[in-house]
Amino acid sequence: MLGYLAAIGRGTARWLARVGALARFAFEAIESLASLPGAGRRVAARVLFNQLRFTALEAVSLIVLLSGVLSYLTIAATIEQLDKVGASELIGKLMVVAIVRELGPLLTAIAVVGRSGTAITAELATNTVLGEVRALEGMGIDPYHYLVLPRLFGAVVSVAILMIVFDVVAIIGGYLAALMMTGMSGPRYLGIVLANLTTRDVVLTWVKGLIFGVVIGVIPSYQGLSVRSGPTEIPQAVIRGTVHSLALIFVLAAIVVGTLR
Amino acid sequence: MIAPLIYEDVPLHRVQRTTYGELPAQSPVVEARLTLHVEAHQTVAVLGGEASGVDALAGLALGLERAPSGRVVTLGTEIAGLARTAQLAFRRRVGYLPAGDGLMQNLSLRDNLRLPLRFGSNFRPREIEGRVDVIVAQLRLREVAELRPAQCNAEERRRAALGRACAFDPELIVLEEPFDGLTDRAAGELLEAARGGETSEGGRRTVFMTGASLPALLRSRVDRQLRITRGRLEEVR
Repeated sequence: MLGYLAAIGRGTARWLARVGALARFAFEAIESLASLPGAGRRVAARVLFNQLRFTALEAVSLIVLLSGVLSYLTIAATIEQLDKVGASELIGKLMVVAIVRELGPLLTAIAVVGRSGTAITAELATNTVLGEVRALEGMGIDPYHYLVLPRLFGAVVSVAILMIVFDVVAIIGGYLAALMMTGMSGPRYLGIVLANLTTRDVVLTWVKGLIFGVVIGVIPSYQGLSVRSGPTEIPQAVIRGTVHSLALIFVLAAIVVGTLR
Repeated sequence: MIAPLIYEDVPLHRVQRTTYGELPAQSPVVEARLTLHVEAHQTVAVLGGEASGVDALAGLALGLERAPSGRVVTLGTEIAGLARTAQLAFRRRVGYLPAGDGLMQNLSLRDNLRLPLRFGSNFRPREIEGRVDVIVAQLRLREVAELRPAQCNAEERRRAALGRACAFDPELIVLEEPFDGLTDRAAGELLEAARGGETSEGGRRTVFMTGASLPALLRSRVDRQLRITRGRLEEVR
């Protein structure tokens, strides 16, 4: 019995140590912003620009596809039934609450984790295994400045940009569905959607986007730089980075919905 | 004149590196302790096997690792005692060629040479290009400067890594296993480039290198050669 309890205790202690290390990493990364030298800012900005190109720009087509198909299917499946009972106005609520406010940030974050979170972990793990991170430190370049901060800000800005793309395409996709299923006019559809969209919805969407962006910037970077033993650990780090990011995004989405309702 | 690099009563231990976000782990302390003064303008090689602790010496000199006791003084400063930001700034005064080469694989050799200058100096872009051009010419990298490390051979990569270590023209340069996999001729050229020319007192730079062995051709070119055997530092001559 005691052995069983000890095993649970050891597991809990290990988990807490990992959470503590991750929190310390995130704090140190943000704290390092204050010591970023002027010359380093230009180099870091160039890395950030590359990160934005890869994480935001090159992901636009995926987000358009995801958002367009999802909103079309959701509205197409519901509007006919709602129209029959004279409740077609409810598609505005459905569009704003379900797609723009809840699924938009969540699906955007999932797409960015799958596409860029994995790449960040693999890249930083490779940097670590090849001794590049140690070499940077040896040259007096802070890996937080050169490797982590551009990826962190890149992820935050990319999620924000892609969320806007997701929402705009979702509204267009929903309109196409409404038009094809019930012949609803554009001004009426837009009127219904905008009537349901409040400032609170916009703020909630942005808060989630910001939180998810930070998660995608921090966890994959942490997992990438935590590799110790060699190249065989890289795929394991990628899996850890992806799974932990997704799990935390879902938990935080639930917390935001629960607390800011 | 104070020696540019001093190890005083430092326990020889195997490198224990912490990862990001972790608190430093306690390094295992063994009986043997190292005391060594690397004098200015000298070229000093410390050799040893895998478990001898020799692989920790370069990291200790740069404050990348911390000795559990004793002290390591680099250019008059105990670098391990500095705050993180000050440590990073201080390291720009010391050239460092890590084991392997540590070149950024996603950058060309030229961009690798530019990196420390762009990040750690307020030089104008023109000045940086001027310095990089000089390094490229000195280390005979002109034909491969625009290639990435993976497209170059081991000798070219090592020369580029040395060029990067010399970007700020440091007075002390620390080399980790610098000649692994190189021919004697290439190793000789690399050592001469690291020394940065000759003065009446010896090499223009103080060179401290660690590794498992030293090519036969270079044994006469180093001022001191030491070997760690069973925890003891012995002069080889």
